Amino acid sequence: MTEGGERRAWIVAARIWIGIFLVFLYLPIFMLILFSMQKNQFASFPLMGFSTEWYRKLFNDGTLITALGNSILVSPAAATVATIISFLAAYAINRFEFRGRNLLTGIFIMPVLIPGLILGVACLGLLSRLHLNGELYSVFLMHVLLTTAPALAIIQLRLSQLPRSHEEAAWDLGATEWQALRRVVIPWALPGIVGGWLLAFTFSFDEFLIAWFVAGFDQTLPVAIFSVLKAVVDPSLNAIGTIVFLISGIVLVGVEMFVLPLVFGREQGTDSNPGV
Amino acid sequence: MENSAIALRGAKVRTPNQSWLREFCLLPAVAWYGVFFFGPLCFFLWFGFWRVEDYSPVADFSLTNYREIFANMFTGSNYGWGIAQSLWVSVPAALIATTCTYLVVLAIVYGVPARRQRLALLLTVAPFWSSYLLRLYAWQIILAREGAINSLLTAIGLGEWRIALMYTQIATRIGLIHYVTPILIIILYVTVSNIDRALIDVSRNLGATRLQTFRKVILPLSRVGLITSVSFATIICLGDFLSGSLLGGGGGTSLIGRVPTFPDMIMSEYGSSSNLPRTTAMASILVVIMLIVLAISIRLMTPALKGNRR
Repeated sequence: MTEGGERRAWIVAARIWIGIFLVFLYLPIFMLILFSMQKNQFASFPLMGFSTEWYRKLFNDGTLITALGNSILVSPAAATVATIISFLAAYAINRFEFRGRNLLTGIFIMPVLIPGLILGVACLGLLSRLHLNGELYSVFLMHVLLTTAPALAIIQLRLSQLPRSHEEAAWDLGATEWQALRRVVIPWALPGIVGGWLLAFTFSFDEFLIAWFVAGFDQTLPVAIFSVLKAVVDPSLNAIGTIVFLISGIVLVGVEMFVLPLVFGREQGTDSNPGV
Repeated sequence: MENSAIALRGAKVRTPNQSWLREFCLLPAVAWYGVFFFGPLCFFLWFGFWRVEDYSPVADFSLTNYREIFANMFTGSNYGWGIAQSLWVSVPAALIATTCTYLVVLAIVYGVPARRQRLALLLTVAPFWSSYLLRLYAWQIILAREGAINSLLTAIGLGEWRIALMYTQIATRIGLIHYVTPILIIILYVTVSNIDRALIDVSRNLGATRLQTFRKVILPLSRVGLITSVSFATIICLGDFLSGSLLGGGGGTSLIGRVPTFPDMIMSEYGSSSNLPRTTAMASILVVIMLIVLAISIRLMTPALKGNRR
């Protein structure tokens, strides 16, 4: 085979492999959406035709919708508090030199590295001693902790790209530190703040184990889905699943708009890395 | 006179590094982590040593829980087999996930034009943003005995090819692999895209074939990323309870037998007994196993890191 022909063959093989991988990744999501809109009681072929029956059942039934309501309450609240906390911390870490700065950054990232099972058991132990468990706000308290780490990572990435001179120029021109923070740093950090919030929201919205341990009867959506899943075959799960994927999809578009430019921003447009 | 005093005081003006803003900004995060992270974690480590009297935990430094657990390693509750099952599920899952993802990343970096790489990355990482629980449920409807794959095979007349994966640990691994791959994509993409193109060009110009270049240049330079990704995936899989419960059905079949994974045992222990200290002690053992995996991976990484520094 000629050199060019061999190269072609490799590239074709590479793309086929990416294709197979994408099918593996998206097959479950596709199936769930497909069967949410079919008459079939069980997810099996042949398809019996389009129907919105399961969506109607979902909204009439109520439990999953109540849980969705709980999640819609807890996740944005947790994400907002986590974003505020992590913006302040990221600002301090980025601006000030102090001993133990790297250690502190490492500690802030830790909660996402520790498995939910461990953190869940640990929280339950402590919160039950303090009689704080079994309520929606216990989930909120723990989710703020869990989502601070990803939000912090994104915001810190953005802040580290802010040239130091911007803030110093504001001080020289007579701005107080507070004014400089409000007028210079926050506008600059805004894409990072939005991206951090979206990431925090996603982490909280999908989090199951910690919520399962501390939620009690105020279930968040993943906890409620798990209870239904363990009990019966219920196609309204397909319907709620489709709705959740839709929400995730919207968040993902936000991430694509705010987070990816931060990561790839500099490389955009410069074709420095042409394919083989 | 007065003027110079002002000037002196002015000279002592605080540097930008000293400001009330530093404490003000760090305080919320430090307070939150102290109360809701270090509090629970320290308590967690201690709680495993508590005793239970009349169904309620009593503060103590007793080894009762650990003694009970180690007495039940291979008899009674069979915790040891649970740990073995967990390792047998997690390590192969991590290896398969890393291999497949590595090949995908190589394909993206070397087989996709630069302007489309970002799209390819976005597509491969996107499932990370969807609910893990729902993805497992979707695998359930795909793999079930009368599920999507089997009913499709029957419908097109290939009935004898039906699969029986549901409620085996193979299904557990499929769920786990589906969960970790988007994360591994990021780790491995960072590794592979940082390999200097010049090294590859030199190797090719000096007459090495593609496979030789891969074996002698790309693979050694990916070593740290590959070890990181295998150990990271192993730790995530070891701590996961959902896939083993939903796809493995609790005690899923494998070469080891119908034994649940260790996290599954922890969860059922939590559900069935009121002995929270013992559940905590079991979770502490899981932490120790994870730390051992981490230590092994760091040990494996050290020569590679030294090699890079040379």
